[in-house]
Amino acid sequence: MISLLIATLTQALTLVPLALGINLSYTILRATDMTIDGSFVLGAAVFARLVTLGVPPLIAFLIALLSGAIAGAFTALLQRGGKVDPLLAGILMAFILYSINMIVMGRPNINLLSTPTLFSGAFLKSNLLGWSSIALTILLFVMGFYGLLRSRLGLQLRALGDNAELLSRRGAPAGLLRVLGFALNNLLAAASGAITAQVIGYADIYMGVGMTLIGIGAIVLGQHILLPFLKSHYLRTHSELVAAFSGIVLYFFILNSLLRININPIYLKLCLGVLLALFLGMAVQKRRTA
Amino acid sequence: MTAPLLQFQNVSLSYPALDRPILHHIDYTVDPGDFVIILGANGSGKSSLLKIIDGRYQPTQGHLKLNAKNINTFSAKVRANTIHTLTQHAKDSLFLNLTLFENYQLMQKNVKTPFKPAELSKYLSGFNQNLSTKLAILAGQLSGGEQQALALALAVLEPPAVLLLDEHTSALDPKTGQYLMALTAQVIQERNITAILTTHNVEHALRYGSRILALKEGGIYDKIEEEEKKTLTAVALLERCY
Repeated sequence: MISLLIATLTQALTLVPLALGINLSYTILRATDMTIDGSFVLGAAVFARLVTLGVPPLIAFLIALLSGAIAGAFTALLQRGGKVDPLLAGILMAFILYSINMIVMGRPNINLLSTPTLFSGAFLKSNLLGWSSIALTILLFVMGFYGLLRSRLGLQLRALGDNAELLSRRGAPAGLLRVLGFALNNLLAAASGAITAQVIGYADIYMGVGMTLIGIGAIVLGQHILLPFLKSHYLRTHSELVAAFSGIVLYFFILNSLLRININPIYLKLCLGVLLALFLGMAVQKRRTA
Repeated sequence: MTAPLLQFQNVSLSYPALDRPILHHIDYTVDPGDFVIILGANGSGKSSLLKIIDGRYQPTQGHLKLNAKNINTFSAKVRANTIHTLTQHAKDSLFLNLTLFENYQLMQKNVKTPFKPAELSKYLSGFNQNLSTKLAILAGQLSGGEQQALALALAVLEPPAVLLLDEHTSALDPKTGQYLMALTAQVIQERNITAILTTHNVEHALRYGSRILALKEGGIYDKIEEEEKKTLTAVALLERCY
């Protein structure tokens, strides 16, 4: 049981920034941003390529974040001020990013096992130190995200997702806010990609497939289970963060549990897909009722 | 004599797909402190006139001046802070998925000393007693009357130069509608706000406001000034304006 929990927590930890990003797009901006499938890989690809070229890991990591933000900004610009469906713009951007990621990496995957990364030094000393340094990095993202949501900018992003037309009429720069929101969301996805590549030891062109769906499913799962207990709107930001974290942990707990009961891997995505479909269906019903 | 606050100069609005203009050759001035009631049948151009003022529509001909300057020379932000609109749809004035307090936070950018929650509760209770205990509730969870009272309270938080009221009580039940209309008139008078109200309610048109403008098929059909308005009956008003 303990090994199941450890496996769950370590897998979930690297995807926490991604879950926060999807919380921003799906819950706050109220848009399904499929760019994440591509920007997750972009973060990993940029980081892996740069460190293998000898760029210091911290600089490579920051550039990876920036590349994700730029991809997100382009998705927002493709929406042409809200006239094009964010889902369509995201799919288009993810489609474009497949080529860009291939160009960045120069091949379908890059091995990082023998390359110094942000966490490789800590892992050489002990696994505990390695995972602690990852947890600390994730904590910085969580704190930054929490600060954002509690700020006026966070409130304006929430207002943008609720009623962009009213926000514009109030004189707020809705277009700029949209760019900023999608940039942040994809910056977080790229962060997850870059951290994941360092943990698993490689960047792969297909490592982002289904990430948006996993993230949305996890968020819906977390919100479905936790929000009835955290209905106070004063605590909304806290509850959203807890829901994002617990959702991603629950997702990997279910995934690892299915693996432990020796389910045929062929049926794995079918089982997880059915489960996510159930929760998404409940979320849609909930939104309709609201 | 005070300079006009709003000046419509030969304003027209048309779409190529329509066989007649939505508005044509509107010449009208609104002075500071005026409370203009616009009457007219459905499709007469009442709402379109307000949308030209708040910038949602652009006239296809003529000019609209605010304080003697072409209204298009004002930035969207200045215009948004100067002109507030309430319609019958709460979503035109409120963020329904945000709490009352968050709606206030988004609206209070010009107020130098923001309210603390207790102060906001007290302020809102002057518009609707129920609002004072619902700061953490989503605006979409309020009743229609509470939503319109909240929208009014937030719209006059810092009194705008012009308050546009586009049939803002028409979706409410008669009792709530009467209450909100009386409250609106009281707020307008107390804060000396220049306001323009569109309505189909002849009783409201007679009881409230200082002037009446009647529109028909996109053009000005009649203008009734304050002294004359006081002498009119409902039947006479109906005959003149419809």
